[in-house]
Amino acid sequence: MTHYALEVHNLTKKIGKKLIVENVTFQIEKGEIFGLLGPNGAGKTTIIRMIVHLINRTEGKVVINGHDLDESFKEAMGEIGAIVENPEFYKYMSGMKNLKHYMRMATKDVSAERLDEVIRLVGLEQTIHQKVKTYSLGMRQRLGVAQALLHSPSILILDEPTNGLDPQGIREFRDYLRLLVNQGISVLVSSHLLSEMELMCDRFAIIEKGKLTHISQMKETVDVGSQTKQHVMFEVDNTEQAFNLLVNQNLGEERKVEAGFIYASMDRETVAKANQLFVSNGLQVYEISYLKASLEDRFLEITNKEKKEQSI
Amino acid sequence: MIGLIQNEMIKIFEKRASWIYIAVLIVAMVIGGFIYQRINGEADDNWRENLEAQNAQYKQEIEQTPADQDPTWLEDQIKQNERFLEKNINPTAKTNWHFMNDVVMGVTTLVTLFSVIVASAVVAAEFSDGTIKQLLIRPHKRWKILLSKYVAVLIYAVILMATLFVSGFIVGILFYGLGDFQTPFFEYTLDGQKEAVLGTQFLLKTVYFLPSLIMITTISFMLSTLFKSQAVAVGIGIFVLFVSTTLGGLIIMLAEEYTWAKFLIFPHLDLTVFAFQDNILQNITLAGSLIILSVYYIVFMIATFVYFQKRDVSI
Repeated sequence: MTHYALEVHNLTKKIGKKLIVENVTFQIEKGEIFGLLGPNGAGKTTIIRMIVHLINRTEGKVVINGHDLDESFKEAMGEIGAIVENPEFYKYMSGMKNLKHYMRMATKDVSAERLDEVIRLVGLEQTIHQKVKTYSLGMRQRLGVAQALLHSPSILILDEPTNGLDPQGIREFRDYLRLLVNQGISVLVSSHLLSEMELMCDRFAIIEKGKLTHISQMKETVDVGSQTKQHVMFEVDNTEQAFNLLVNQNLGEERKVEAGFIYASMDRETVAKANQLFVSNGLQVYEISYLKASLEDRFLEITNKEKKEQSI
Repeated sequence: MIGLIQNEMIKIFEKRASWIYIAVLIVAMVIGGFIYQRINGEADDNWRENLEAQNAQYKQEIEQTPADQDPTWLEDQIKQNERFLEKNINPTAKTNWHFMNDVVMGVTTLVTLFSVIVASAVVAAEFSDGTIKQLLIRPHKRWKILLSKYVAVLIYAVILMATLFVSGFIVGILFYGLGDFQTPFFEYTLDGQKEAVLGTQFLLKTVYFLPSLIMITTISFMLSTLFKSQAVAVGIGIFVLFVSTTLGGLIIMLAEEYTWAKFLIFPHLDLTVFAFQDNILQNITLAGSLIILSVYYIVFMIATFVYFQKRDVSI
């Protein structure tokens, strides 16, 4: 038994002569939230649709929980729970009837208890018997999660799941995902919103023009190690004097004063030294803070670097 | 597979329109009952005397007919009247089987129409609502999902037929009472009159109606799948229905000129003609029509299923 929930090998999609997706390979471990990140039109949705067999693969292999999608279609698809873009339902039927509809399509038997459990999990107990056309987008999204989870899949695939959700809905959604992952489900999620991925994923891949250009751990991207230099901001009572001290002692790099704050790039030790220097010179230090490189900076950094490399 | 068909049946019957179509058929039967009674009037008790008087008059007319005119029609009328007298059947007394034969068979066009509408929606609506994505990411092969939809449409068509026949039968009995299934009567055909038995003629027409119902429904189902557009599927489906029922004469004229016109689908869609004549388009028999229809059917089904199996869903 493989320990990957999902393996994707050399996934390629060609329409006419145009390569939409080119040689994408990645693996998702069990109990992991894996993100596909990239601008709109980069091919994220095409990759996801190839995995769930909505779109034919030109080349490549998809293995879901050890089942090859081509060789054992039924077993492989049975392990998937998915929402592809906005979850659409039969609006003329109640939420319950929609769920039962999908329940009948599952290969595993779904018990009545499981149905109740899932409805409770997404908090739709009150409205489940109303017609879906009366649902708000957030409620439909939750019903979407319910239909994806109903048959206890081992991997949840979500394509732009937070599109159209309000901030509170997004927050709730994130909490659901954590809850599910804690129960051992793996998640593949795509988004063009970097900040969202930052909060959601354990690992992510950057997709650009149909190619996978970077895979990394969220931690290594966001929390930079103690040896590396980070951007730091100081707030002191005498900015000019403090800045001169830094220059004289040659502490840090890229020093500058902006709007009454001092900015510099330095490692942890240097930050402590600078603080000591200010205090021993009788300056009042009000605030020292790291300007955390957000995923967005890293994202732009990574993609820009690659663009430069390409142009060379 | 049973679960899939059950799903599709539920989706059809959760739509209000599907119930309205059934109601329309019942209402049409009731209205048809009133109109049919109005047109035919009360049964005439002195029918024997009337028929004899009529025959005497016809004979006189035949004698007076100039040699260059054909008295066949009058002779047929006399033969028909003598047959009624001989069998002691009152031609002015209508039974529920007359009603079934005339009105119910006429309304079968509505059954085809409603089947076309439902068949057109069954695949196209999944695309326009976006629900097709959620439907196809299940552990079922696409052809099975499509087949379950097709079967559901056919079941719905059968339900429409059953509704029509049961309500027609009940209305017929309420208006005219239960008549003799074996009553002879005369059908007017292109070749003159043909004597037939009411009940068997009704059953025969029903059997001959089924291939056209299935074919036109299948065409709509195919268009619904190929074009993902309900409007196109309904439009062309109704067009085919219209052409097959009204423009048949035009095709017959075409077929006299060109052999290929005989292989068009239209003249073969209305097989009920075979209930009173043996050939259409000069030399095509029932077997010939059925073979031509089968070829069309197989081509349509292959096109529908192969396309659905292969296409990328990217809405």
